[in-house]
Amino acid sequence: MFLNHFEYFAPKAPEETLELVGRLGSKAKILAGGTDLMVVMKAKAISPEYLIDINGVEEFKGIFCEEGKGAVIGTNTKLAEIQFSEAIKAKYPALAYAAGEVGSSQVRHMASLGGNTCNASPAAETPTPLVAMGAKVAVSSLSGDRELPLEEFILGVRKLDLAEGEMLTKFILPEPAQKSACRYAYMGRRDAMEIDCVNMAVNIELANDSETVMEVKLVMGSVYPRPLVSREVPALLIGQKLSDELIEKAAEAAQGEAKPIDDIRASAEYRREIVKVLARRLLKEAYAAAKGV
Amino acid sequence: MKQLIELDINNRVYEVAVDARDLLLDVIRKKVGLTGTKKGCGEGDCGACTVLIDGKPELACIKLAIACQGKKITTIEGLIQEGGALHPIQQAFVDYGAVQCGFCTPGMILSAKGLLDRNPHPTEYDIKHELSGNICRCTGYKKIIEAVEAAAQVWSKEGVK
Repeated sequence: MFLNHFEYFAPKAPEETLELVGRLGSKAKILAGGTDLMVVMKAKAISPEYLIDINGVEEFKGIFCEEGKGAVIGTNTKLAEIQFSEAIKAKYPALAYAAGEVGSSQVRHMASLGGNTCNASPAAETPTPLVAMGAKVAVSSLSGDRELPLEEFILGVRKLDLAEGEMLTKFILPEPAQKSACRYAYMGRRDAMEIDCVNMAVNIELANDSETVMEVKLVMGSVYPRPLVSREVPALLIGQKLSDELIEKAAEAAQGEAKPIDDIRASAEYRREIVKVLARRLLKEAYAAAKGV
Repeated sequence: MKQLIELDINNRVYEVAVDARDLLLDVIRKKVGLTGTKKGCGEGDCGACTVLIDGKPELACIKLAIACQGKKITTIEGLIQEGGALHPIQQAFVDYGAVQCGFCTPGMILSAKGLLDRNPHPTEYDIKHELSGNICRCTGYKKIIEAVEAAAQVWSKEGVK
């Protein structure tokens, strides 16, 4: 269980990091928490020639949350920091909850928000609520920054919209709308130290009457190569006041859209059932929470 | 190629020659000689190798030693009190019979310390949630949870560091 040899860099500033990322290209891997990277390197699944450890770069860390202005979260912000952040808990409870359900306490103190996205595992926890809330990512290189929605950044299993010389540097979260709420839930074989067989987030925004759905976004994790945004649920629910029958119909629609596979964690059949259960539960929870705002 | 680095372990600075690929766990056990930190799964799942880095529980089996320069590392040996007395969490583990084979114990105790430092009044759920990354195959978890609850009581009374 030894690692293969690599050359180690520990830059102290963003420019220095981007210079290394640009120069070393695909022969290098970025080391943030290492909770995914070290495990695959120990298994010799990958053997990068260079590691760029970004833990010495202060600019890549931190939660910047301003009243009325959404939030910006640095790529190397640890999941435990997000889990315990009073600002995130108040404004983005679904994200704080999802971050707090990743791996174990040790993993959450090591692993970063950026790593959870860039590992591009279909079963990742935090991309699901982030996509539901309409988060964008900033991708940086020596030639500048670009921003794109997170749902367009994750392309598939271990695939990102990242050109050579680019790295993810921050997440940009919009301010939650008035009368809106986002909720997250997951299902796995047990509660802790597991990888989700399905996870899901629902974001609902209501009209001024506090009953009519104005926007709804239902995002499914672990049932598709990347976070799957439902097209049918908004088509069914926008402009409607939700009833149990309507929620049941929407949950069935989400179930129809999911494209799960059989694997070690669950069968496709079971996952499809769970999609319906979580969709029903989350639509109810998010609707009730949005009414309460 | 080896290079000399300084590691602050239990408030003592050790100068060690490491390769970039050396893991913190192996350096602590083999080069520094502190064998209280255990190697279990080696994949970051079992928690036996838990150490505190700047007070936060982390997994030494998937942590590069070279990345720990300038940080304060605490291993189970670092919990010793004045005169060689046991730390209150250790004492609670003894009192409540929370140790059987003992292999998971250093990690359990350091995770518990990480929790109590942040939250001295944890609920049973908090304890279960925060210790869920430490796997014990002997005792079951009931006595471990009771020990942490007891340690929390001592903590809030005496404010132990």
